Amino acid sequence: MSEKLITEEKRVFMTGNEVVAWAAVAAGAEIMYGYPITPQNEIMHYWTRLAPKYNRKFLQTEDELSAGFTTVGGVMAGRKAFTATAGPGNTLMQEPMSMAEAMRLPTVAIIQQRGGPSTATVIYSQQEVTMTTFGGNGEGLRIVYSTANHQELFDYTIKAFNVAWKYRFPTFVLGDGYQAKMRESLTVYDPEQRGIELVKPEPYVGKPGTPGVDREPGHYRNTYNVEEELYEVLQDYFKDYAKMAKEVAEYQAFDTEDADVIVLSHGVVSRGAKEAVEQLRKEGKKVGYFRPITLRPLPEDQLKELANKAKKLLIVESAQGQFAKLIKDVIYGSSAEVVPFFKPGVGITTEEIAAKANEIL
Amino acid sequence: MAKVTKIMLAGEGGQGVQSVAQILAEAADNEGREALYIPNFGVEQRGGVSIAFLQISDERIGAPKFDIGDIVVALSSRAVYRVKQYVGENTVFVYDASIDVPEEDLPKNAAKVLAIPALETAKNELHPRVFNVIILGAVVAATKVVTDKAAKDAIEKKLGYKFEQNPKLRELNYQAIDKGMQLV
Repeated sequence: MSEKLITEEKRVFMTGNEVVAWAAVAAGAEIMYGYPITPQNEIMHYWTRLAPKYNRKFLQTEDELSAGFTTVGGVMAGRKAFTATAGPGNTLMQEPMSMAEAMRLPTVAIIQQRGGPSTATVIYSQQEVTMTTFGGNGEGLRIVYSTANHQELFDYTIKAFNVAWKYRFPTFVLGDGYQAKMRESLTVYDPEQRGIELVKPEPYVGKPGTPGVDREPGHYRNTYNVEEELYEVLQDYFKDYAKMAKEVAEYQAFDTEDADVIVLSHGVVSRGAKEAVEQLRKEGKKVGYFRPITLRPLPEDQLKELANKAKKLLIVESAQGQFAKLIKDVIYGSSAEVVPFFKPGVGITTEEIAAKANEIL
Repeated sequence: MAKVTKIMLAGEGGQGVQSVAQILAEAADNEGREALYIPNFGVEQRGGVSIAFLQISDERIGAPKFDIGDIVVALSSRAVYRVKQYVGENTVFVYDASIDVPEEDLPKNAAKVLAIPALETAKNELHPRVFNVIILGAVVAATKVVTDKAAKDAIEKKLGYKFEQNPKLRELNYQAIDKGMQLV
């Protein structure tokens, strides 16, 4: 049994689902809990192929509720645990993820968005943004990375485990069916060889010693009898979240300085947005590009600045305004006009984005 | 911005268009170029039109799908109707000569329309199983997006274990590529 999957940096060519499985192994994930659903199935398939070789584990549960709760249990036992799901599976996953928010558990979940509502398509969408950022009964105390390519899928899956265990908020890598199924090149690496320290997990329960004598007792609650008690606990959570947000929020931007129109997108759609903005700039058009990498927390200061500088923000997404809602909430009261370009459940090409941006310039 | 070659392959499930796209993508990747291949998949396992989007370039590739292809290949009559929308004035449209589609239903706006007797050649001269490899050869010749050597190496990588057991298969596949290149 070889100890490491990746012993040196190398270029590979594979599907996004395979990338996630490799990244989870590289990140030191110890166990995956899962239930099959397209388009994330192959994450499980590749993980189960790799797991026995690298001394990792896998449990297939009876549904996504159970996959989520076993992930919660794995984390409480001090294991780097993760799950992956999509669409209706993500819906079921909200109940356990809400518990993870309540108890500040560093679960990691990979979401490969498919069409909705309900079974809809197994293909692609960006319609799980609202659910992944603010799902469940709670306050959206989560970290959500929206990736755009296979390199990011690898980088941010590794990062997800680290930020989850560092800040103790449930963390999500939000991909989609396109990223899951397409093949492109990326460089895989061993994170420690690159100087990325892997945050060590620790058990919440079953620690050595007598509680109250040798150590503090562990009180992990998702139930409260008194309103004020819940309120107080949440105030502390919000403080932690705000502090974390400044360190965790990430974005990419270019050509925004003098731009009249800024194209705002996230995830795989931002690939086309980037190309469209580059093309229009070559034609001398004043267009800029902004893309939040984290959808929770959002890079709020930068968004507000843009929204007071540019004339128009063109918000492009494969959903009917789920991403736009997040943005509008942040930039409320700013001067820029918001122009929607929504194609729910459908891919958006470079040509379409360029045409729309041109139209509103 | 580097030139991106946009290739679309469409056929009936089981005709092997996804394998062709994957082999071409891997051939390009092996040459150190950038490739992005995405299958268009639905809930059905077989039946229905299967479409592959493939882009090859010297630089990183943008959106996974595109509006207009440089080469659009249709291997069944249903596929012709399905992919017509991806044909533009610079598109080379390739279809199998055996397809029964009225002349007026073929795309009229293409730069070039090519009917190639791939199915017939496979049946009569080689083996029906290498039908898609003939198509692969045709795409290589029409786009020059990878060399025939790179395509053969990629096939070797994918099917090498089968060739070990039966070297005649290797010869058959290589012949199919060469044949496909001659048809264009």
